[in-house]
Amino acid sequence: MSDLQSVSALDGMLVSGRHGSPDGDAGVTLTERADLGLATLEVRRWQGAALDESVRTSYGVGLPSAPTCVEGKDVRFIGVAPGQWFAVSEALPNEMLADDLASKLRGKASVADHSSGRAVVRLEGSAVRSVLSKGLAIDLDPRVFVDGAAAVTSIGHMGVLIWRDTEAFDLAVFRSFAGSFCAWIEDASAEFGLDVVTRS
Amino acid sequence: MRITCPYCGARGLEEFTYRGDATVTRPSSIDARATEAWVDYVYLRDNPAGLHKEFWQHSAGCRAWLEVARDTTTHEIVAVELAAKER
Repeated sequence: MSDLQSVSALDGMLVSGRHGSPDGDAGVTLTERADLGLATLEVRRWQGAALDESVRTSYGVGLPSAPTCVEGKDVRFIGVAPGQWFAVSEALPNEMLADDLASKLRGKASVADHSSGRAVVRLEGSAVRSVLSKGLAIDLDPRVFVDGAAAVTSIGHMGVLIWRDTEAFDLAVFRSFAGSFCAWIEDASAEFGLDVVTRS
Repeated sequence: MRITCPYCGARGLEEFTYRGDATVTRPSSIDARATEAWVDYVYLRDNPAGLHKEFWQHSAGCRAWLEVARDTTTHEIVAVELAAKER
């Protein structure tokens, strides 16, 4: 069997360097987050307490019952719906995360690998809220969308999962929207200047 | 119109999909004698002016089905709860 090589969803979609307004410091920085482990888990019927117990044992953290992030050992769990979570990991890249979750939570949660199905970008900078508020119909005020807050919503009709990590925002879109989504970000941040940092 | 999803919080109408009347009950019997109940369940709807119970799905958010009490004359949302009570 031949080995498949993972290719970032953003491969060829981004041109690194300065975009938009060339004046002063860029208001927004976009960083490609490639080779992340991404997976969804959904609790099996009547297994809520058992799942929570297993996640505490294996990852040292309880699952959130609201749209917020918790940081466990090697894995960040994000509440996306009642009984459903999105898991993100750097330490367990690509499909390794889903394999790890599936083996540790067997019978308690259904796990699906999303590592090749989503594109993830990190946005930060002084103008990041102004850029995001052009497309997001949620309150991004730092007192409301606090560190660790998350939301499943849409930007320009593209479904997006957004979560806040200190002063940065991570956004995950379905892989086939990666090009359109990056074009949206380039347009929305042109007036503030955009720095693009690709993996290579 | 904005609906306050019990999980996600207040979101705009564009994130939701109407899924029908929440007051009808599916007949438990598939017996021929239950035909009238099935006709009621499948085809017949009240069209109340005022408070109504409806299913809405937060299709662009958490995708949960919601039971929404809405005033059809003012669009005031009186109550919202998850349609799935236990999991």
